[in-house]
Amino acid sequence: MQFDAYFIGLGIAAVGSGIGLGRAVGSAMEAIGRQPEAAGKIQTAMIIGAAFIEALTIYALISVFLKG
Amino acid sequence: MSPETVAAVAEQGHEAAKSAASHGHPEIPNIITLLNSVAGENPLVHFLHHWENQFFMLLIICFLTWVVRRAYRERSIIPTPLQNVIEMFIEAFESLVVGMLGEKEGRRYLPFVGTLFIYIFFMNLWGLIPPMKSPTADIKTTGALAICVFLYVQYSAITRLGILGFLDHLMGSPRDVIGWCLVPLFLPLHIMEELIKPVSLSCRLFGNILGEDILLGVALLLGIGMLSFMHSPIGIPLHAPFMFLAMLTSTIQALVFSLLSTVYISMILPHEEGHH
Repeated sequence: MQFDAYFIGLGIAAVGSGIGLGRAVGSAMEAIGRQPEAAGKIQTAMIIGAAFIEALTIYALISVFLKG
Repeated sequence: MSPETVAAVAEQGHEAAKSAASHGHPEIPNIITLLNSVAGENPLVHFLHHWENQFFMLLIICFLTWVVRRAYRERSIIPTPLQNVIEMFIEAFESLVVGMLGEKEGRRYLPFVGTLFIYIFFMNLWGLIPPMKSPTADIKTTGALAICVFLYVQYSAITRLGILGFLDHLMGSPRDVIGWCLVPLFLPLHIMEELIKPVSLSCRLFGNILGEDILLGVALLLGIGMLSFMHSPIGIPLHAPFMFLAMLTSTIQALVFSLLSTVYISMILPHEEGHH
């Protein structure tokens, strides 16, 4: 039972991360559309930001591995 | 190989995957787990099984050294195909790092960051070659890499800023009374921040690659399990679509690790732009 709760928690973490990633990438796309010449810089910043957002889900995933 | 050998290897692969699944998570069998399931009592095989990740890391180092040596020895004005590929790879990464750190600093830190990128990139992708394994799917490998980054960043902070400059940086560069009043708040915060960086770097890479490997292992096990009632040596390659996903995450995670290292380096460099 306790183990199942970990998976539900992982799912919730993934939802949060997904919303965050969607907002970040969407804004980056908009910015690239507005200023295509700055695409490289925006992309780099976006990837770094996405890594930070995604890391939160990864922490949840690691805690599930460690508990499982 | 005769059909019997193929069937036997498939059976052993199945066994290895099952044994891996029983204690932890499903894992695609690699050459060492296969050897271990055939001759587990052999001390050499036992040794290799114990130092599995290090074995694959050494293999990758040998492979990279061989490729680069070959390209380097045959270098010319009219590049050979191999030299062309490597030059393209390095130039693309150089423009990225130089774009983030500036011309002079970028050239200075490119060797370290570029080595990290190439090494992690190959370690991540190594798990997709059938009898191999990704050494980065182990927290010890990624932890060691992250500690290297941490030590290098601290070292360059101390050499570039000096001891006093480094302490000043840790205290949040106090310049007035309010700044000095906030030092007790900022100092532990900055020290914590520096210490948390390697943890987050290593956990991110480890979690991504392990997650990807487990996804492949689960899909592969499902594919084998679907045909196991026929005692077929071949399963349905259900993991094939996930291979492309794995290639994507491998590349992006290698890029993220090295780009974050670049960002950490850029954070400790003296801020020349801010003053004029």
